[in-house]
Amino acid sequence: MDFDFSEEQYLLRDTVRDLLRRECTPKHIRALYDDPGGRSPERWRKLAELGVVGLTVPEEYGGSGMNEVDLVLLLEEAGRSLLPEPLLEHTAVAAPLLAHAGSEAQRREWLPRLSSGEATASIGLASSPFVADATADLVVLERDGELHALTQDRLTLTPLRSWDGTRRLFEVTAAETGDDTRLAGGREPAHWAFDHAAAATATVLVGVAAALLDQTVAYVQQREQFGRRIGAFQAVQHKLAETLLLVESARSAVYYAAYALANELPDAPIAVSVAKAYASDAERRANYEALQLHGGIGFTWEHDLHLWLKRGKALEIAYGDADWHRRRIADWVYATAN
Amino acid sequence: MDFELSPEDAAFRDEVRGWLAENRDQIEHVRAVNWEDGGERFERYREWERILFDAGWGAVTWPKEYGGRGASLVQQALFTDEYVRAKGPDRINRLGLNLLAPTLMLHGTAEQREAHLSKIARCDEIWCQGFSEPNAGSDLASLRTRAVRDGDDFVITGQKIWTSLGVFGDWIFVLCRTNPDAPKHKGISFILCDMHAPGVEVRPLVQINGDARFAEIFFTEARTPASNVVGAVDEGWRVAMTTLGFERGTGLGSPAVFNRILDEVVDLTRRSPRDGGVAADDPDIRRRVAQAYIETRIFELSSQRTLTRLAKGGTLGPEASLTKLYWSEMEARLEELAMDVLGPRAELAKGSPGAERNGDWYSEYLYARASMIFAGTSEVQKNVIAQRVLGLPRE
Ligand SMILES: Cc1cc2nc3c(=O)[nH]c(=O)nc-3n(C[C@H](O)[C@H](O)[C@H](O)COP(=O)(O)OP(=O)(O)OC[C@H]3O[C@@H](n4cnc5c(N)ncnc54)[C@H](O)[C@@H]3O)c2cc1C
Repeated sequence: MDFDFSEEQYLLRDTVRDLLRRECTPKHIRALYDDPGGRSPERWRKLAELGVVGLTVPEEYGGSGMNEVDLVLLLEEAGRSLLPEPLLEHTAVAAPLLAHAGSEAQRREWLPRLSSGEATASIGLASSPFVADATADLVVLERDGELHALTQDRLTLTPLRSWDGTRRLFEVTAAETGDDTRLAGGREPAHWAFDHAAAATATVLVGVAAALLDQTVAYVQQREQFGRRIGAFQAVQHKLAETLLLVESARSAVYYAAYALANELPDAPIAVSVAKAYASDAERRANYEALQLHGGIGFTWEHDLHLWLKRGKALEIAYGDADWHRRRIADWVYATAN
Repeated sequence: MDFELSPEDAAFRDEVRGWLAENRDQIEHVRAVNWEDGGERFERYREWERILFDAGWGAVTWPKEYGGRGASLVQQALFTDEYVRAKGPDRINRLGLNLLAPTLMLHGTAEQREAHLSKIARCDEIWCQGFSEPNAGSDLASLRTRAVRDGDDFVITGQKIWTSLGVFGDWIFVLCRTNPDAPKHKGISFILCDMHAPGVEVRPLVQINGDARFAEIFFTEARTPASNVVGAVDEGWRVAMTTLGFERGTGLGSPAVFNRILDEVVDLTRRSPRDGGVAADDPDIRRRVAQAYIETRIFELSSQRTLTRLAKGGTLGPEASLTKLYWSEMEARLEELAMDVLGPRAELAKGSPGAERNGDWYSEYLYARASMIFAGTSEVQKNVIAQRVLGLPRE
């Protein structure tokens, strides 16, 4: 039994953290709010050079051949720094999905390019009325429970606008599917994709929540009222202590979900639901306390806090909110227990 | 990251499981009575501890010389897990086993370990924790029980309260003020005292669930040899903090216990009538069951993370408060769910017709409320987390 990461996994996390600390600051993110493309090809290229973009692509197709456990700490960093590029859609879901259920032709055509960062992929599942980053070179789309890998010439997109100005959301108004676009395996790939997307979203949420907590702890350490730092007030301390407990506990859940997926354990879907339900609630609490404890300044556009508040809010709901996952868990508990 | 058991650990688990299965009748015989009722009933539990000790299961992680088998922390967790699944009897000497013994291993002298460890494991000495006083609860360091050096002895005078197992205790580890002039946290000593010595008087206190599980202890010039001070004289606060670390971190809340409670609650939802059906059909109850599953599962996972950290040589400092806060509040929610599932029948007491499990659910519910008070209240844990984990200013 070893519930920890390896030296190498921590090392890669630190490398990615350093890169994002330099190149994914609130200033960079604000700039993308106003940029219609909303993505930094430069940053994506650097991540690709580190092997992060193709982390989950098998080595025979030019990737690093690593798995969900290797990726989980990086997704947390993506959340912490609010990375706008589609590490979740591309690296956590679409690329390994093609490796999992794509035809040999689809794999050979796409995986090397998805791994190098030359091409991007996104994922559109029936649980969502829109597709994030649907302008990707390849969009894996759910239709009638099955998945299709579609290029842009087969798609008609209508752009939507999110309150989170870094999200690039599109309604798919038409999609030309055929036998040649279908992934093998019937409905299984859609479930696979959903569980991977939900687990990855839970992990990004943990990063968002940790960042909100850190910033709030720092803020209450310096803001003074009534002649002392507000962090000395017990009402403030208890909120933050409770939030830390939620975030730390959510970490246990998302790490295990990654492990369960990587090892294709029978309890993986439930581990995913545990992670997504708990991480959504934990982030929601961090989100509330962060704004509450910042007071008025946190409500301004000028302050950076809202960048995290909005990403967190979107992801709390994406790929099943906490109540949805609790329903799945209840059904499972009553189907299996005793 | 690897959740597979090593072959040695798997073999260990099988051995535990096999032994517990062989002793099923004995387990049922012990569990047929409540140790709280005292007398022969309590002795049955003591005999059970001896059976465990003789088979080498009394304190698995301890060195062989003290009756353990030098097992790893992972193996200890496996043992507890199997023990709870097999419905093993309450461990009546848990304060000795889980709090004092590890404290002695860290801070005790060779003589102290020699004198007490095997006796703890054999249950020859039932141990109590003498920390709280009427005016020193959360503010433990304001304690006033005095110990004065007199020749080779310390002479103890004062009062301890809420002492769990007080009426059954043979020995007590007492926090005493040995230097009244020093600042509050200095000048405290951690002293072992025989509860059968002259000058030690135990007065039982009845708890709100009717049990006599705790007591007041009065010390009137009770003598204990100076060699019974653990750590240096006047430096007992530091020793006490390690004891509290064990109590909050790994000592009391075991994942298997909460998993078992959850299983029982789920079973209850299938049998408890509600709105013409059963509770298991009610979407609100199902939602709470799911949340209970999430929380118990995460407690198990977080415990495994902690275990890995300790196994790799890490320590658990103020983070132990996160563990204690988590499980105690989870326990209260679980028991509260059981109450709501039982519905109006929840209030039916011991001896009443129609009382589910003879009113034990209610008793457990009350005890879960105590979990948020003992070993440091939830408020105290939050203070520790805020100030010592997050680094916020002390008030
Ligand atoms: C079932 C049970 C078994 C026990 N067993 C033992 C035992 O074996 N040995 C032993 O030594 N003790 C034992 N205790 C005692 C236990 O440790 C104390 O009850 C506990 O530390 C609280 O102290 P108190 O009861 O004096 O409450 P108080 O300290 O008076 O607290 C009352 C309320 O005030 C709050 N409060 C106090 N200070 C603060 C603060 N700084 N910030 C915010 N809120 C605060 C508390 O959280 C609590 O809600 C046991 C208690 C129970 C209920």
